Amino acid sequence: MDEAHANYLSDDGLISREIFFDSDIYHKELERVFARAWLFLGHENQVPDAGDYFTNYMGEDPVIIWRDRGGKIRVFLNSCRHRGMRLCRTDFGNASHFTCPFHGWSYSSEGALTGVPFLKDAYFGDLDRKKWGLYEVAKVESYRGLLFANMDTDCISLDEFLGDLKWYLDVLLSRTLGEIEILPGRQRYRCKTNWKIAGENFAGDTYHLPYSHGSLFRVDAPLLNPVSYMNSPNLYSVTTKHGHGLCGVSAAGERFEADLKLAEELGVEAREYVEETKRRLDEAVSREQADVYTLAFGNIFPNFSFNNFSALRPYGFYLWHPKGPSEIEAWQWSGVDSEAPDSIKELCRKMFQRQQAAAGIAGQDDTENFEQVTEATRGVVGQSLDFNYQMGFGHEDKIISPSKLPGKLGPYYSEQGQRNYYKYWAEMMGFEAGTSQKI
Amino acid sequence: MKDKKISPRDVAYEVEQFLFWEARLLDEAKYDDWLKLLTRDFRYWVPVRETSDNRHSDIRGENEMAFFDDDLEFMKARVQRLHSGFAHAETPASRTRRVITNVEVQDKAKTLVKVFCNFIIYQTRLEQTEAVYVGCREDVLKRSGPSWKIRNRTVLLDQTLLPRTISIIL
Repeated sequence: MDEAHANYLSDDGLISREIFFDSDIYHKELERVFARAWLFLGHENQVPDAGDYFTNYMGEDPVIIWRDRGGKIRVFLNSCRHRGMRLCRTDFGNASHFTCPFHGWSYSSEGALTGVPFLKDAYFGDLDRKKWGLYEVAKVESYRGLLFANMDTDCISLDEFLGDLKWYLDVLLSRTLGEIEILPGRQRYRCKTNWKIAGENFAGDTYHLPYSHGSLFRVDAPLLNPVSYMNSPNLYSVTTKHGHGLCGVSAAGERFEADLKLAEELGVEAREYVEETKRRLDEAVSREQADVYTLAFGNIFPNFSFNNFSALRPYGFYLWHPKGPSEIEAWQWSGVDSEAPDSIKELCRKMFQRQQAAAGIAGQDDTENFEQVTEATRGVVGQSLDFNYQMGFGHEDKIISPSKLPGKLGPYYSEQGQRNYYKYWAEMMGFEAGTSQKI
Repeated sequence: MKDKKISPRDVAYEVEQFLFWEARLLDEAKYDDWLKLLTRDFRYWVPVRETSDNRHSDIRGENEMAFFDDDLEFMKARVQRLHSGFAHAETPASRTRRVITNVEVQDKAKTLVKVFCNFIIYQTRLEQTEAVYVGCREDVLKRSGPSWKIRNRTVLLDQTLLPRTISIIL
């Protein structure tokens, strides 16, 4: 990399392909992005009772999300402090303590080292158990049930990190009759690509929908393609500070109108449900927010993507875990409204499985593209070229919405989301955007 | 079954041959022929696997997340997609090899038989893309004239983490 021309988002909307391959950059990302950004871990509802836990990753570090005896949700490195053995080897469950399988050190849900075999005989009483509790992740915060954690004690608050995006998240989180219920079972799959290729796709890539997902419009599955309003001039790309991006935000109530139409076809129960969600939304948020109604899809920097196209569709939560420069593990959960009628929950679950999921007819085409982008650009000449993110360059923040939506608004088809994503990436990495520099 | 009596051993043999033939149709990408083997009330269910405290309890019910939960209508849509020219993940088509073993047929005297089997599916596409899926299957087959139709297929993958997204029919 020492003679690299590494271009980290110059003013002409080009980015060096090296940032998706270089192992030095990747290791710096783990330090400067994943160990310093707020990372999504799951939903509070996944650990309702004391002792409930599930496991996840922050960057490449395995973590346990564990509700302690006092009801507090704590996040620990999932690794014994003695010699590093993975402490919890299950994906979810309930436990009052974990015992390391290697030498038998035990830890409580508060992270305290409660048991050391032969403490007296082997350590002569010299081991200070208070110093060897589990490594606890510095910051854990929830935004209305969405759990985030940050390894960095000096980080900005989650509130500041989310910033203007909260206005939009409130739309999603206020439209349910009950709470967001995460369905049991996380889908996990490998994909041989760089984590940013997946993240930026949700942060700004509306342009791939008609072609990448062309099959969605060509099968007899009408519930999967209710997007007749997609070419509306009232759909926007939205970007906010800290690299977050939303795609296909409607400000004119069109998504609610589309839902009503779809619900009419499904029957009385669906129609009443959709009308009730809108009533709840009208009561809970501003008129402008209620008109947005749902967010389509987006990405919270760096690797947390989500979608929710409709009240009759699931909440999709996606994590792109980095596993080296050219590999990710995709983890995904589906959420439904806990108070929705069973028929709607079932519809949402099936729509999730059939569309943006491991065997969904949209998800599999995305990963094929991501992997073949990676394969086709790893060569020496391929690496010397740039990716083009010029679409809509100069047109962001030029749209004056009638309802003054927060953040920067751009046209529906735009790559402003990707530019915003890489701008913040460069900032976290300590690179000056628009320059070529040595690493 | 009325006109002539088939011995349980013959039924087991017939069912096994049916499964091998059906696997070959999928390997040879004869999806339209394969669809004809499904009953109108066909259900295809592939639940997500996770590692829990109890290795036998990670499947918690039908309302949990699955990789597939399809009826005949959606299975037809999947095949329609493969013919659409926009199924990028299967264009050009993968080569697959299904190995079906340990076939065990229950209720041999009835028109509905329950069949357990193990499978290994090897998939390769383009140059370097490879995936292996391993698991067991529980099928309910319905006698249909001289042959059988598939009414129910439950696939239990042994993998919690898939090698890639699933672009084939397991």
